[in-house]
Amino acid sequence: MRTGGSVSYCLIFKAMKKTNYLKTACLAAAFAGIFVTGWESYLRQCGFTLSYNDDESLWAHTRKNIYEATPAGPVIVGTSRSKFDIDLGTWKSITGKEPVQLAIVGTTPRPVLQDLANDPDFKGTVIVDVMEMLFFQPDGSFTETSARKRLQYYPKYSLSQHASFHINRKLEDHLLFLDEERFSVNALIKRLPIASRPGVFVFPVFPMDLEYVSPNRQTAFTQNFLRDTAAQHEVEGVWMKMGLASTKRGVGGDTLTNIIRSVAQSVDKIRARGGKVVFVRFPSSDPVWAAEQQAYPRALYWERLLKETGVTGIHFADYPELSRYECPEWSHLSPADAKTFTRDLTRIIGDKTKWSLQNAVSQNIP
Amino acid sequence: MVFNSYTFILFFVLLLGLHNLPFSWKTKKINLLGASYLFYALWNPPFILLLWLSTVVDFYMAKLISVTENQRRRQLWLAVSLVLNLGMLSYFKYGGFLLENFTMLMNSLGIAFQAAKPDIILPVGISFYTFVTLSYTIDVYRRKFKPESSFLDFALFVTYFPHLVAGPIVRPEDLIPQFKQPVKATSEQFTWGLFLLTLGLFLKVVIADGWLAETSDFIFSLPFPVNPLDAWSAVLAFSGQIFCDFSGYSTCAIGVSLCLGFQLPENFRYPYASVGFSDFWRRWHLTLSTWLRDYLYIPLGGNLAGRYRTYLNLMITMLLGGLWHGASWNFVIWGGLHGLFLCIERLLRRKPRQTQPAGQHEMVLQATVIPVRSSRLSTLLRVLLTFFLVNVTWVFFRSPDFNTALKMLLCMFGVIMQGPKMLSTPDMLKVAIVTICLLVTHWNMRERSVKGLFQSLPWWFSGTMWAVMLILIVLTQKSTGSFIYFQF
Repeated sequence: MRTGGSVSYCLIFKAMKKTNYLKTACLAAAFAGIFVTGWESYLRQCGFTLSYNDDESLWAHTRKNIYEATPAGPVIVGTSRSKFDIDLGTWKSITGKEPVQLAIVGTTPRPVLQDLANDPDFKGTVIVDVMEMLFFQPDGSFTETSARKRLQYYPKYSLSQHASFHINRKLEDHLLFLDEERFSVNALIKRLPIASRPGVFVFPVFPMDLEYVSPNRQTAFTQNFLRDTAAQHEVEGVWMKMGLASTKRGVGGDTLTNIIRSVAQSVDKIRARGGKVVFVRFPSSDPVWAAEQQAYPRALYWERLLKETGVTGIHFADYPELSRYECPEWSHLSPADAKTFTRDLTRIIGDKTKWSLQNAVSQNIP
Repeated sequence: MVFNSYTFILFFVLLLGLHNLPFSWKTKKINLLGASYLFYALWNPPFILLLWLSTVVDFYMAKLISVTENQRRRQLWLAVSLVLNLGMLSYFKYGGFLLENFTMLMNSLGIAFQAAKPDIILPVGISFYTFVTLSYTIDVYRRKFKPESSFLDFALFVTYFPHLVAGPIVRPEDLIPQFKQPVKATSEQFTWGLFLLTLGLFLKVVIADGWLAETSDFIFSLPFPVNPLDAWSAVLAFSGQIFCDFSGYSTCAIGVSLCLGFQLPENFRYPYASVGFSDFWRRWHLTLSTWLRDYLYIPLGGNLAGRYRTYLNLMITMLLGGLWHGASWNFVIWGGLHGLFLCIERLLRRKPRQTQPAGQHEMVLQATVIPVRSSRLSTLLRVLLTFFLVNVTWVFFRSPDFNTALKMLLCMFGVIMQGPKMLSTPDMLKVAIVTICLLVTHWNMRERSVKGLFQSLPWWFSGTMWAVMLILIVLTQKSTGSFIYFQF
């Protein structure tokens, strides 16, 4: 026993003597460097568009700008539709001020609206994107809790996280592979063709080169996606699976009443401090628009919302210039359409609300 | 600041540069102290005042205790330190909890009492640095050592950034002597420190955050029961997550410190290969379990105050240990279950001893719940039983409230069978792979060390493994997640 022990200790000692830490570290650094460089080069060769992570840090960084919001540069709360359909650059070229984009993909905007209402320092203008299927989801639903999670991050956004965000931004300016949504290990694992148990809802996977996000949180379809009709059909399939084309009636009764009441309370708080609110219904097309009309009849949801909150609403279907678009995948506008849509929308907001934005519009549009 | 952030990488590179410049040793220590305050202040600057208060008061109370001969006065100075430290901890950590329970008690007695909800922010790491400073004054009171004469060394001991916010909970004798003489990391220490930093980040970023957190968070947040397989997956996911998260932090801390030339005590020894709960607490969060042993269990009388008193002491220690983790009854239940399992284990260990004397090997076998006695297989079975029971306790640790914990347990044990299937196959596979890998690794490493393994492998193999970890960290990209133990 003792001899065996001595022998093994001798072996370990010899191995310890042999261990070359520096050589090991250099090899590790070289392998890792070669792999990362190769991975980045490969992604570039595939033609992917550079995109920024639309995560809680970027949202928190954007949220800090709400205190300067005016009708010319309002805060936008909502869903992916407002992220695609309002072209922030076009808006800025018209009014001279870029909106603060706070819309969160796949969530109801009510928690963010409530957050603005509860912030005593916020006195600005808010554009609320009303996509009925998400907007009228009850409290506690996935779309509502997801928005709340994002909100909870903001008060804890520390100096350290702020600094990390800025360093990360510099890296994201140059490196494609830092896009967590598309190229992280988890994102790649989710794309593996592994079937799940019957009855399990697995969140559908979108095409790899569907969209890109800019530092100001503007989202747009990539040119590759706009050229690829197969990819567009793939996304249409995703919408079908997620029930966007479902005609099942949305919430009603007390739940709806409570939802509208809570929105009215938020609106009243913002107005009491001199702020302004406008609701916008963004375009959708083909089966999605047809289903939305059946699931959320305008009179029962949109009109009631406007009536009980006393807020001005702009529904795309009421304006030929806003309803002339065909969404590539039934739910969002292409970047080119978003530009003209935004130009018309700013004019209509100005006309309908008589806010000071109207002057800016008339001064800037030839 | 968290280790898995770009800010930390920048901070660490600058600090390493500064630390290796030809300054005097005192200047280097001042730099380290300043850097540690910066590390802490980048979370919430005002809370640095609490850290200062604790440092200054304990430094001077220890001096007063040391120079005072009158026992009552010594007790008074110790009490000042205890009241200040435990008072701050109680206010910030347990203020809301105490008020909530007081309100419930009053209401249950029919007394209408409604308190405003306190808006208290928990300072990061308060539980850790409170224990660090408490151990110092208590040990000076016990005349274990003389008080530290240098305020700089003492302040650096309390504030030294690698251990400040989530341990390891260092003792004065672990760290202060290392500040006395100029030290510089050797090239071996430096490289090994970097390896440990990589290993810690791999455990945290890739395994805990990347592979497990989503599954565990998702299932534990559901308001309805789930399929038994999903419930077990979530618990196993959390089991892996909390180990990888916390041991990942400790490993990073040890690695970072080693790069600067200072050694910190180890905090984990492959706990999921524990044979019984006493063994578990010799392998899980070692610096906390030894702290509780030395400053709570033994002062209560330990196992020398009679049989029943020993059980009571165990229960008190584990209940308070549970409460240390957070202001919630679920943590108390978690601690209580651990205490209960420790008592049962002790009870089972006692019985055979009365009939026949046992050898050392026999003693180990008897210290378990399963009466299997065929060496390696029986040890493995006891390890698996311990792992199973530890997982049951994690349900209380992770659940946001008692009802959720109960619901999860009912799902896990098939009492509720009709819950829907929620997890995708890839998510379940990730949990299964990590759990199996953890168990196999812990089983094979239970008597070994990472460094021993590293040194026994060919350099090219270690280098490749190191590279794989680095690549996976870069590709996982979860750079903003906080560590679970920061909330404690």
